[in-house]
Amino acid sequence: MNTAENAYQMYIDLIDSTIISYNGPFDAQVLSVIAENIEYSLSNNPRVSKKLFKIFIELAQNISYYSAERQKNDEGNLYGVGILMLREFKDHYSFSTGNLIEKKHILPVIQKCETINILDRQKLRQYKRKLRNMPSGVPGGGNIGLVQVALTADYPLEYSVVPVDDENSFYILNVRVNKN
Amino acid sequence: MENIHIEGKHGVNFIPTVDFNVETGVCELAGESYLEDTIEFYTPLYDWLKQYTTEVKKPLIFNFRLRYFNTSSSKCIIDILNILKRYEAAGGDVKVNWYYDADEEDIEDELEEIEDFMIETNIKINLVPN
Repeated sequence: MNTAENAYQMYIDLIDSTIISYNGPFDAQVLSVIAENIEYSLSNNPRVSKKLFKIFIELAQNISYYSAERQKNDEGNLYGVGILMLREFKDHYSFSTGNLIEKKHILPVIQKCETINILDRQKLRQYKRKLRNMPSGVPGGGNIGLVQVALTADYPLEYSVVPVDDENSFYILNVRVNKN
Repeated sequence: MENIHIEGKHGVNFIPTVDFNVETGVCELAGESYLEDTIEFYTPLYDWLKQYTTEVKKPLIFNFRLRYFNTSSSKCIIDILNILKRYEAAGGDVKVNWYYDADEEDIEDELEEIEDFMIETNIKINLVPN
């Protein structure tokens, strides 16, 4: 296959599998439209729909609060900017998010993902209870959204960080939920 | 001391329905909880509970009827349970009920969350199927 055909196939695959894709500020208005879309698109599978909804809220709020790229919405409030995609595959759905993060935040974020992935379900619940008792704003603590995402998903978190410039990197997170 | 009534809303944010009654001592939190500023919403509820448990000091029944809550709201639920636990430890008459829909698709996850609330706050929560 030549390059042009390759690109076309990629385009077709992406269009076929994508249920939702969004790029921009994650303000409350946007969150509610996407949340509604998830419920509507997956109304034939309420179990998965609820799981994806729960995961979406936490991922979106993480971008909204922690993205290094911020943009004003119509009301003049600042919100984090990022991308989000919900795609359907043969036996699972996959949520992918991406946002800029400051270099100094990379290590704590990666460490958190690593910690979450090595813990079994009981240990993960313990970790969530511990974090929940720490005051918000404490480095490495407070935010339990990602732990809840891992408890709701059916697979370990998939994550990577790509360098962008001297100050920022791009943080990508992928979360999968089985259809059955 | 006045009753609190807040009508729940499923709009841009999900605001839970709140009914705190000073005459009957019955407090209810129902619906869905996912707010832009969770602390701002829950703080008046903490204040009410603190006043009730230190000044009114009558029996208190807290009924949770939540279908969905995000992790920020779960922190506020912990704060509510801690206030109730303190009241119980000080000799107050407290009963906490958690109503759940046994047909709900993710019922196992929900029961796990309630178990976590109990472990974290050390208060007994009665599970009541709808």
